[in-house]
Amino acid sequence: MPTITYIQPDGAELTLDASPETSVMRAAVNAGVPGIVGECGGQAMCATCHVYVSPNSLEGLPEINDEEDEMLECTSAPRDPERSRLGCQISCGPRASLVVEVPAGQV
Amino acid sequence: MTAAEAETTAPTAEWVRIEDLYENPYPIYRRLREESPVAWVPAVGRYLVTSFEACHRIEQDAETFSANEEGSLMKRSMGHSMLRKDDPDHQTDRAAYGPVLRPKAIKETWTAAFEKNAEKYLEEFRAKGPGADLHLGFAAPFAAENLREIMGFRNAAQEDLQRWSQTMIDGTGNYADDPEVWAKAAASSAEVDAAIDELVPVLKAEPDASLLSAVVNAGMPIEAIRANMKMTIGGGLNEPRDVLGTAVWALLSHSDQLAQVLAEPALWATAFEEAVRWVAPIGMYPRQTTREVEIGGATLPAGARLGVVLGAANRDPEQFENPEAFDINREKKPHLAFGGGAHFCAGTWVARTSVAQVALPKLFAGLPGLRLTDRPAREGGWVFRGMLELPVAWN
Repeated sequence: MPTITYIQPDGAELTLDASPETSVMRAAVNAGVPGIVGECGGQAMCATCHVYVSPNSLEGLPEINDEEDEMLECTSAPRDPERSRLGCQISCGPRASLVVEVPAGQV
Repeated sequence: MTAAEAETTAPTAEWVRIEDLYENPYPIYRRLREESPVAWVPAVGRYLVTSFEACHRIEQDAETFSANEEGSLMKRSMGHSMLRKDDPDHQTDRAAYGPVLRPKAIKETWTAAFEKNAEKYLEEFRAKGPGADLHLGFAAPFAAENLREIMGFRNAAQEDLQRWSQTMIDGTGNYADDPEVWAKAAASSAEVDAAIDELVPVLKAEPDASLLSAVVNAGMPIEAIRANMKMTIGGGLNEPRDVLGTAVWALLSHSDQLAQVLAEPALWATAFEEAVRWVAPIGMYPRQTTREVEIGGATLPAGARLGVVLGAANRDPEQFENPEAFDINREKKPHLAFGGGAHFCAGTWVARTSVAQVALPKLFAGLPGLRLTDRPAREGGWVFRGMLELPVAWN
């Protein structure tokens, strides 16, 4: 099974097994990963599952659609032009692993 | 004792009275949370859930905790809207709302309307002179006119939306089965139906940016349009009105925090979030269990009717330090005032923008020396909670 690794602002890392279609947000919320809130349950409506994707994991992710784009303008931590994504909009897909950094705040 | 009570291990809280909840629910919530965060409360005919953890769990598990409640008074008052549906039916309705209430549309279309309306009602309020009631004199017409424009009711006035909203909400809460309450709710419901029927062909021929246009042109069936528009009238007016009143009252009662906000405009958003946490405008909403489930230390049978008490979850000391205090400097943590999961409030960004970005800064800039008066402000309610009267003075 593919894995998703969450790196906290203090450097602490947690790696979870996740099916290819399980979102970065859902895997985190189910496992109680700190710093990923996911309040709207994955509708790209609340901007509380913001992550910075590690540079090595960026390739092959789906394009940012209009809804995600507008929500990324509403995040609590600053948007990174390359690496910011909503965790509810990305998953491992065909890749073996995905690494994301959790921002300092979601609200 | 009903079957549902017989099979539960949740304690019964016979001491809870509706009139006390209405007056000030917070001491009651505190005791419930401490004694049992899931308790059968005969006065309201529900298990009240009062801890943050249990409320949050319910929001994230729609399969066990269904929104599609049997015998729902909301369904009777407003029809079967998405608020009382589970996915996938809920999602079908919700998708039809499209981008109308999302941040981009708010920025491009609605913020200008919020600014125009804030100025209009601020001018009218100023003309009333010091001592006027900010709740009825500003917050209510401002919220109602914003909602009227977003929904697209060009054939109604903001006063109509206020009347429709209150009478249909009263129906939703008509546990006493008062025939007069039902009559008023039915009259408003018929007025909304007539207004929608008149607009449907117009918006089909010429779509616009409004919510009604979005659902009509998404092909939503007419019964669903009617129910969802009524839900939105009920759920889109009191909430921004009440968080606005609560935020003003709280800031005027805490002059140090007000000084902070006035010196640092980015803190309007913080004050808004703290106000909505401190007094959640929707304090309780219903759910019904689909199976036997253990929650909050109690076992509930299938079919149990729950009250998810956001007003209590938002003051849970396990989640918030010194939770009873209004404090814009508290550690930032998620609250549940907008709900969570599939039913996360669709109007969240409308409320944040219209209240925190537009109304609050304009009020404090346009009414210098804004302050409370000798006549005390009053608040009330628990299912819906907000100011009843907010007399203010200015220089």
